[in-house]
Amino acid sequence: MHIHKIKNSLLFIILAVFLGCEAEIDQHIPDTGTIDLTAYVAVGNSLTAGYTDGELFRSGQEYSLANIMAGQFMHAGLESFKQPLMKDEIGFGGRLVLAEVDGAPFPVPMPGNPDPANFENIYHADGPFHNMGVPGATAQHLLFEGYGTLNPYFGRFAANPETSSVIADALALQPSFFTLWIGSNDILGYAMSGGEGAGITPFEEFELYYQIILTELTAGGAKGAIANIVDIVKIPFFTTIPYNALVLDDNQAAMLNAAYANLGATHINFSAGPNALVVVDTDHSAGLRQMEEGELVLLTAMEGISQENWGSQQPMAPEYYLSLEQVDEIGEAVEHFNTVIRLMAEAEGVAYVDIQSRLQEAETGIYFDAIGFNTEYVSGGIFSLDGIHLSARGNVIVANEFIAAINQEYNASFPKATIGNFPGIIFP
Amino acid sequence: MPLFFFYLAAFLNPLVIQFIHQNNFSMRKFMISTALTLLMATTSLAGGYQVSLHGQKQSGMGLIGTSLQMDASAAYFNPGALAMMPDQLSILGGVSGILSSVAFQMEQPSLYQATTDNPMGTPFYFYAAGMITNRLAAGLAVNTPYGNSLSWEDNWAGRFLIQDISLSAITIQPTVSYRLTHNLSVGAGFVYALGTVDMERALPVEGPEGEGRVNIEGSTANFGFNAGIQYSHPGGINFGLSYRSQIDMEVDDADALFNNIPGTLSAAFPAENKVAVTLPLPANLDFGLSYQATPDLMVGMALNYVFWEAYEELHFDFEINTPNLQDSHNPRDYSNTLIFRAGGEYRVNEGLFVRAGAYFDPSPVNEEYFSPETPSLDVLAFTGGMSYLPTRNLSIDASLLFLMGLEQDMMYAPENFGGTYKSRVIIPGIGISYSL
Repeated sequence: MHIHKIKNSLLFIILAVFLGCEAEIDQHIPDTGTIDLTAYVAVGNSLTAGYTDGELFRSGQEYSLANIMAGQFMHAGLESFKQPLMKDEIGFGGRLVLAEVDGAPFPVPMPGNPDPANFENIYHADGPFHNMGVPGATAQHLLFEGYGTLNPYFGRFAANPETSSVIADALALQPSFFTLWIGSNDILGYAMSGGEGAGITPFEEFELYYQIILTELTAGGAKGAIANIVDIVKIPFFTTIPYNALVLDDNQAAMLNAAYANLGATHINFSAGPNALVVVDTDHSAGLRQMEEGELVLLTAMEGISQENWGSQQPMAPEYYLSLEQVDEIGEAVEHFNTVIRLMAEAEGVAYVDIQSRLQEAETGIYFDAIGFNTEYVSGGIFSLDGIHLSARGNVIVANEFIAAINQEYNASFPKATIGNFPGIIFP
Repeated sequence: MPLFFFYLAAFLNPLVIQFIHQNNFSMRKFMISTALTLLMATTSLAGGYQVSLHGQKQSGMGLIGTSLQMDASAAYFNPGALAMMPDQLSILGGVSGILSSVAFQMEQPSLYQATTDNPMGTPFYFYAAGMITNRLAAGLAVNTPYGNSLSWEDNWAGRFLIQDISLSAITIQPTVSYRLTHNLSVGAGFVYALGTVDMERALPVEGPEGEGRVNIEGSTANFGFNAGIQYSHPGGINFGLSYRSQIDMEVDDADALFNNIPGTLSAAFPAENKVAVTLPLPANLDFGLSYQATPDLMVGMALNYVFWEAYEELHFDFEINTPNLQDSHNPRDYSNTLIFRAGGEYRVNEGLFVRAGAYFDPSPVNEEYFSPETPSLDVLAFTGGMSYLPTRNLSIDASLLFLMGLEQDMMYAPENFGGTYKSRVIIPGIGISYSL
């Protein structure tokens, strides 16, 4: 028996070597198509920078949209891609993490104080940087000379915070290829203030700024890809808390009704079950009203609603919700801006990345490599704990959209990033 | 103000609930995929890995066997042929080693590749049969018609579908066969099947300790039958026809163990759950034809029709359901397949036989539902074998099979995981047979 085993194994080894027992598939060879990868520069806002979970910090930057794309371009010959990395996982101190609250996962501020070194300019020590994504930047901001004095996220890595513009610093790298994803903050500032703060960038101004940015980026013959913006009102920051988040029983409803009736606000009515939140509305004759279906509560209202009786005892301030009119206004702006971006992509002959459509698809659930995603807060997997910015895997999804559009436009075959190799949301 | 204290709790509750509900989407998927996994596991055995290693002689000849009437192995291949065996008593046993490797290249454009590092599968067989009268034969067949070991590299991209899986099914089949005329015999066997499954996959929930995992482990037994008819033409041509019934492997209480689940999600995945599932092993209709061309040369062919359409749907029934862990119905949509086999045997001298053969085994899997649990590709196989007879009664039989799972682009569309798959399998086998 032993002899046969030995004979058999010998025979097998010989045959295995001879016939090639291991299955092998030929490796794909990435092709740059018509793209020159001498210098790749990513221009944009927080979404490009790697801002996630409410802050810009080191590991978030490692999984930034720009860095993921650069990593894929490196398979096809890109030699370097430098990011203005924070010193640590804290950044400027705004980061959220999930913690266990009453047995359930809940976003809480991450403990720890920011290192002052994170605020210091690192251009001369580590620059120049290829990831020119600046959290908070609008289209206009990219052109603003001295923007580093207004925005510490740029101040920390601008060539000269007093005089640099984001675009000027980007152009100093003489990009042969660029990606540009800008425009969200031209609407988001308005939306995140409940329509009370800075207005939406006027359409003609947005068009002008965008045109200038794109003209400058392509002036040296660089090729590139530009992406449209997402439906602002569909991101978890605006969709997590329902307009009728107040769940009451009969008794509670009666007590609240009595309280508002005492104030003479008889148009405020509660009943058992989910109830529309009460909000301040200066356009309403009584100065307050209950929310309507389709109106949106900002995620930042969560603490006030749950702990300070906002929307029930205390009408919620206008900064914490979007009225139907404001929702429409934001929707129109997104459509207009995206039309501008699409037409400019066509006019300039750059790749056009339709992120808006992809995220619309994801609303009802979408799979990438056997991992399910949707646009819900935390559990959806695409958005990070701040409800606005993308998670690492969300960045992979967008990076792969960029890569698909780039491959198509420039006859290239850059490999897509493998989403399962990136971390998901960490639950306690 | 204390008046309003109550609805703080009233509001917090829905929020907490909402958080749990928000996890529904991704978790409902785990359950669905888990269901798919078990099914595929079964199919992977009988598709690309249905090597039917039930006799080293047959294995050497492209796994033809339906029309052969040489020994007790007919009890499995065609009970009708058992009463035609040339000896009064036949006993044989053997084992093979399945050395398989599957390669995956993610859908283009991608550089992602992965391979399996499969433990060796070891199917075995044991047959004993004797002539009770001139016309009546009785026998017993014990073998492993299904069995598979598949282990993808750690943390590979498809781990949410399958990380590793091990299955085996052993059948025990008492058989009788009766020769109606000199040329015609029939036979039937009662099949008792024992099956076990052990599989693990990753769950896309992550905690500080990494990803969650689910392990499903269970076993079951059920009955079926095997019947056949054999016609032996005086001119040296044999015809065989056999049918093996479908056997539903109903696992009532497989353990579904959820490991490394983050604490805040543990309620959604009861750590020690049970799951009931039915895995149909499809029926087979086999036709074989063999011809003794010269006293030293026999050639033959076989057609195996496998009723894979039995896999329409699979139902998974968890003992403990949570909002995130519901029972699931999974449509399958497999196709029946026809395997074509051809082979032959040459007698070099009294003490030495050599064999060769080939077959083509098309994949039953719907290409939209192709998952890495089932690397069941269209398989082209070449086989060889030999027998050495130290005495007239004793034969030492060996075979070697080389299977090529043809490179194919496949997709698991429900979860958008696809790419190019390719497989290679080498199966050496050794056996011994004794006849009187």
